[in-house]
Amino acid sequence: MTQNPNVPLIHTVSVVTLSVDDLSVQYQSQGKKIHAVDHISFSFSEGESLGIAGESGCGKSTLGLAVMKTLQENASVSGKILFDDISILETSDSEFTKDIRWKQVSMIFQGAMNSLDPVFTIKKQFMEILQKHNFQGDHVQTIESAISSVGLSHSVLDKYPHEISGGMKQRVVIAMALILKPKMVIADEPTTALDVLVQAQIMILLKKLKKDGLSIILISHDLGIISEIAEKVGIMYAGQIVEFGNMEEIYKNPKHPYTVALLDSIPKLQETKKITPLKGNPPSLVNPPSGCRFYDRCPQAMEKCKQDPPKIKTASGFVMCWLHE
Amino acid sequence: MDEILSVKNLKKYFIKKGFTGSDKEVTRVADDISFSIKNAETFVLAGESGSGKTTIARLILRALEPDSGTISFDGQEITNQKDHLEKIRLGCQMVHQDPYASINPRMTILDIVKEPLEIHNVGNKQERNRLALQALSQVKLEPVEDIASKYPHMLSGGQRQRVAIARAIVTNPKLVIADEPVSMLDVSVRIGILELIKELQEKHGISFLYITHDLSTARYIGHRIAILYLGKIVETGPINEVLSSPHHPYTQALLDSISDPDPENLHKEKKIRVNEPLDIDVYQGCRFRARCPYAIDKCKQEPELEKVSEDSQVACFVKIN
Repeated sequence: MTQNPNVPLIHTVSVVTLSVDDLSVQYQSQGKKIHAVDHISFSFSEGESLGIAGESGCGKSTLGLAVMKTLQENASVSGKILFDDISILETSDSEFTKDIRWKQVSMIFQGAMNSLDPVFTIKKQFMEILQKHNFQGDHVQTIESAISSVGLSHSVLDKYPHEISGGMKQRVVIAMALILKPKMVIADEPTTALDVLVQAQIMILLKKLKKDGLSIILISHDLGIISEIAEKVGIMYAGQIVEFGNMEEIYKNPKHPYTVALLDSIPKLQETKKITPLKGNPPSLVNPPSGCRFYDRCPQAMEKCKQDPPKIKTASGFVMCWLHE
Repeated sequence: MDEILSVKNLKKYFIKKGFTGSDKEVTRVADDISFSIKNAETFVLAGESGSGKTTIARLILRALEPDSGTISFDGQEITNQKDHLEKIRLGCQMVHQDPYASINPRMTILDIVKEPLEIHNVGNKQERNRLALQALSQVKLEPVEDIASKYPHMLSGGQRQRVAIARAIVTNPKLVIADEPVSMLDVSVRIGILELIKELQEKHGISFLYITHDLSTARYIGHRIAILYLGKIVETGPINEVLSSPHHPYTQALLDSISDPDPENLHKEKKIRVNEPLDIDVYQGCRFRARCPYAIDKCKQEPELEKVSEDSQVACFVKIN
């Protein structure tokens, strides 16, 4: 990774590794257990970026929140998350806040542009982050460099959220995530709810930040924008990662029938071939069925698929499917 | 007659009065909009938020009063006469964006679908039930009887949108306005809804006005398209022609901004051909002038739609490509 001299924001050149091992998250709600994330394992490193793709309710946001230790109180977590050899789940909350949260890994939340406080100026809201984290150093200068790095002028700082556009708010939120120079940012649907042109401009910004050395975990339902950023991709379905590997391999040669269906179901601008819709809906995560969770909707389901599918090694990752045994 | 809807020189300005009532801010949400929809055709209105897409839909259904311009539906100019309004509100139905908000959570699916029939006094009770069940089976909500007695919360997003479509087609309309019908749905469910729209069109000859910001789904079901920018049509024509060789810089920018899932994207630099917006009055001259990378001096005048081919028109002095 080379460092762009114009952008002093991200100082890291060191290798970041994130490895998730057998992670499960369950929500307790109205006497029911919801298995939002179910025995997930994967890892990636060396300035790579990762895309987590899946549809609503597949657990992709929960996965992001688990890494940030910001799950709701009704969630119980098991498994292991290693961030640069620090076990996140074994770290206490206060230690995590002191050493890791926002300093090592930060998050751009879904619908983040609505998370700005309407009664404070942008500058006040930046100050709050720095004060919360006991930042030593020149506050104003740090804020200004963060705001420039996302392509905004300093005049934005004196404005209130309602005075700036949605795209600008999203940039402000990205600048906030970057202000303590984390090595890794988790971006949960960073472009949804934005206009088409603005979406693309935010993607261009994320691409630039990535080039400057930032590792990005992009959580999205949009395989198009994931292909702009991510070397590695995990496809999530009903709480599990059903396929994981290099983006190129997965897009060119998808192995899991769900990945195939997901890629097929996107209408492309330069193609008008007829697409066969996927039937049915994902299973409930309250009592997920045993065996392959895609069984009911899979065009290639076999008798064997009623048993839990094994994790089969592929060239760059794995696939959870009996077809590739 | 082969046109189901024809809109001519439609205008609607929203006026926001200042605090003292003296200074006004005028937003031209629909400015001299003309287009027509043929029988059994899907016409796409595409643009970003604030471009006036939904306002045009509301003007067509007379939920809003236009400032000027005419709307003809099925050979009849629609005015405020009661029989005109009844005609368009029976013959032209709407599907809204959010199926979680557009159907009443306290009504059963059957009641939801037959409500338009009750409003328009179609048939007797038995007849209405029969038509509602028929509409449910047309949108492939099976088993019909089972679904009919359920409540919206028992259905998924895709199924709810099917209920909204069933409600729209139950009166046997000639035109359905679909305002972003798939944007709230999951990727794998979208195609099912788009395929359903196509099928209803083939079987029943329904025309669709498909309002969207998503050019990829537009391409999938549309026949002709109009690109809206700040209340004005900047380019219109057959969808394949407009999207494969755009002449307006705004259309080009919209196309630039789409990321198809393609592994090549990772290594390519993404570029959108627009400039940082200049601080000028957008209603002086071409509205896209403030962001247009090709702007010339002449663009300070307002460009009108001009023919660029047999069926396509573009409002631009430069006409790229």
